[in-house]
Amino acid sequence: MSKLRVVQYINQFFANIGGEEKADIAPEIRVGEIIGPGQAFAAAFGDEAEIVATVICGDSYFNENLDSAKATILGWVKEQNADLFLAGPAFNAGRYGVACGTICDAVQEELGIPVLTGMYEENPGADMFKTKVYIVPTKNSAAGMRGAVKVMAPLALKLAKKEPIGASSQEGYMPNGIRVNLFEEERGSKRAVKMLLAKLNGKPYTTEYPMPSFDRVDPNPAVKDIKHAKIALVTSGGIVPKGNPDHIESSNATHYGEYDIAGVMDLTEATYETAHGGYDPVYANEDSDRVLPVDVLRDMEKEGEIGELHHLFYTTVGNGTAVASAKAFAAEYSQKLLADGVDAVILTST
Amino acid sequence: MDFQIITNNPKVKTELEETCNVNYFEISYREILEKVRDMCHGGYKLLSHPLSGSVKPNETPYKSVMVSARKGNADSESIHIIENCMIAFDKFPDLGNKWTPSVLDDFQVIDFYLISGAVGSAI
Amino acid sequence: MKLEMGYIDIKDIQFGAESKVENGVLYVNADEVKKLVLDNEEKIKNVTLDIAKPGESVRITPVKDVIEPRVKVEGRGGIFPGVISGVDTVGSGKTYALRGSAVVTAGKIVGFQEGIIDMSGIGAQYTPFSKLNNLVVVCEPVDGLKQHEYEEAVRFSGFRVACYLGELARELTPDETKVYETCTIKEGLEKYPDLPRIAYVQMLQSQGLLHDTYVYGVDAKKTLSTIMNPTEIMDGAIVSGNCVSACDKNPTYVHMNNPVVHDLFEEHGKTINFVCHILTNENVYLADKQRSSDWSAKLCKLLDLDGVLISQEGFGNPDTDLIMNCKKIEAEGVKTVIITDEYAGRDGKSQSLADADVAADACVTGGNANEYITLPAMDKVIGTTDYVNTIAGGNEHSLHADGSIEIEIQAITGATNETGFNNLSAR
Repeated sequence: MSKLRVVQYINQFFANIGGEEKADIAPEIRVGEIIGPGQAFAAAFGDEAEIVATVICGDSYFNENLDSAKATILGWVKEQNADLFLAGPAFNAGRYGVACGTICDAVQEELGIPVLTGMYEENPGADMFKTKVYIVPTKNSAAGMRGAVKVMAPLALKLAKKEPIGASSQEGYMPNGIRVNLFEEERGSKRAVKMLLAKLNGKPYTTEYPMPSFDRVDPNPAVKDIKHAKIALVTSGGIVPKGNPDHIESSNATHYGEYDIAGVMDLTEATYETAHGGYDPVYANEDSDRVLPVDVLRDMEKEGEIGELHHLFYTTVGNGTAVASAKAFAAEYSQKLLADGVDAVILTST
Repeated sequence: MDFQIITNNPKVKTELEETCNVNYFEISYREILEKVRDMCHGGYKLLSHPLSGSVKPNETPYKSVMVSARKGNADSESIHIIENCMIAFDKFPDLGNKWTPSVLDDFQVIDFYLISGAVGSAI
Repeated sequence: MKLEMGYIDIKDIQFGAESKVENGVLYVNADEVKKLVLDNEEKIKNVTLDIAKPGESVRITPVKDVIEPRVKVEGRGGIFPGVISGVDTVGSGKTYALRGSAVVTAGKIVGFQEGIIDMSGIGAQYTPFSKLNNLVVVCEPVDGLKQHEYEEAVRFSGFRVACYLGELARELTPDETKVYETCTIKEGLEKYPDLPRIAYVQMLQSQGLLHDTYVYGVDAKKTLSTIMNPTEIMDGAIVSGNCVSACDKNPTYVHMNNPVVHDLFEEHGKTINFVCHILTNENVYLADKQRSSDWSAKLCKLLDLDGVLISQEGFGNPDTDLIMNCKKIEAEGVKTVIITDEYAGRDGKSQSLADADVAADACVTGGNANEYITLPAMDKVIGTTDYVNTIAGGNEHSLHADGSIEIEIQAITGATNETGFNNLSAR
């Protein structure tokens, strides 16, 4: 039997081209070449599969030229007649993880070719794509390559052969919300007793059915005296001064911005815009008040309906931003808001 | 009596309408749930579990649910339960089963006894 | 309370001229068993007996209950207190079980009666009862009998036959003896001052007709949450009247061999102090749910427990009780692990339970009951497959001409048991 054909996708860093300074390189395909992590995969595949080509793309390039990069790569993968498309592993590299997830999703959807990628669980690409494509959890740095290959290679072969895929705990992929039955070695009651002992002793355990997560926040008590309250505006809609001076990313934001609106009565097309890459920006760019309602609050301030509008607003881009990052941003600027004596915040999304 | 029964089960109508406030509708199981959901949002309190019985929602066509006789403030627990029940209902595909009259009678009997249990607890 | 359980291993079952157990073979005099059933139950017109052994190409359906034959050899009371025996408190002294055998009652109680036990093939992997030497009792009702009267007649007949077979063990020497002993509250505190105090909270199916469970003969829907010694179930303190949802109902066999009780006993005195067995119910009336879960949480607090295992029985409505119990018990500072099963759809993509809460952070699952499998044809069917097309998860295409069946595993008796009886799980 001929070997299964694998095309691997890696970024500029793992192709030994360079780091951040080379993140803008356009995609290229090297047919017949096995590069970087490909070596370990090739060894693990043995006689069963071969890496027939390696696609390399800069992380910034991919994310900033999404449509063209995707189209180019899809064309190559199709030409190579691949049995499997393997991306990464991306470990904790955020944009790389998102690129791996995006291209895997596209190959699977548009070409019908099985795909596999790997990354650290907190990589934003994991949350975005784990329900769409198989993602193997890895360590947070390339030091985890060996461990990643050990889990990914056998799963890759299974996928390439189109064999039935077992439960996440058996195959080693991130739980993807699709429940798959399996026979455990111990009966349920025994597993339950062990889980209870672990829970009692403060030791780690993994629930077999994670409850649907609802990250609920209890509402604060109502503002007692709105007519004298200091109100601040915060948004995940990406509204920034024209030109995006702090370069907040259009997706997977790594930081937030703090901007002064003292004396600003209205956000205009000339002065403000959105950095958000996840929705059609036309209307937000035309009039940013649509996302960050400074004009209305100024009116209310004037009419005495609120005490005052805080002179600073906080902004970031929610598009694909990891929950952990968003939480960290909020923890930080909430302290600033408190220190500035803000009584209430209007949080707008898109 | 502080409760009413919303049902599409003819047996519940004939057996209980003399002693209880029974609102009978010739509608589907899901439509009963929708009606109850709308009532809960409108301030009626849910008194019996809408997924009573282990008979799956894509098996039995009958459903009887007990809600309060009078409206009050919307009860969040009632809304939570009925909304979850509708999510659970929708995951069972319609298998297109055509039941014989005797099986339909069995389903009616079971639903009748389940709601009777709730009546027993309520009075 | 201390109970000595003697297990007599049954390796084969045969019909014979005399009912007896010899060299691990259970011989059954069919005429005596039939007479026992018919003499005691005027609602039953006819009884058919059959035998199903592990590995045979045999399908039993529709199954109502599975019961292990046991006999009380020493101590108070008898097997199935308040049902077959008097209401004396059981759970102490000495009891023998014919381990590896069971009485299986089968018959069409309602038109959508489910419950399949395959003795071989893929289906056998899903039902724990494929590993037993089964005496199958198929009861035919007199004409015009109401569903609930028929259910009751079959339920009692099963218990009578199980006690009749259990009696055959009275003079035998067990192959294995295990001693189960728990302490009173004060003794436990003195004996195991450093061990966490653990109980088992068992939710009993109690929604109503064909969804009932009995404790010492009392209908569980009319009970408040209460406590028992964990050994009481071994004498049949809890019996099943539950006919619906084959995969996750607890047949009487499961109550007698409750795996949570047995696995907690394994740790008792070593890593935990197994304090007691708390019973609560799963009624349809929401105020009953509130009261019962309040009471189970109150008992946990009163008993100064550190942790509990909570098991469920059935689909839908009990999810609400499960979450209420879990939430309220956790709120008392008592750690919980819950055991449930899932209805995640055939594709596994739907939300598994009809309720959820963050407090339920430790969950063991018996698997997705909607998993769709094909059971191969069997050489012999005990009962009838007439109803296969109409059981849960089945439709007009379920039963194929060659006798194979496409079905969701929810139709298989005990497949996704929620006391953790099986190895099946899901992720």
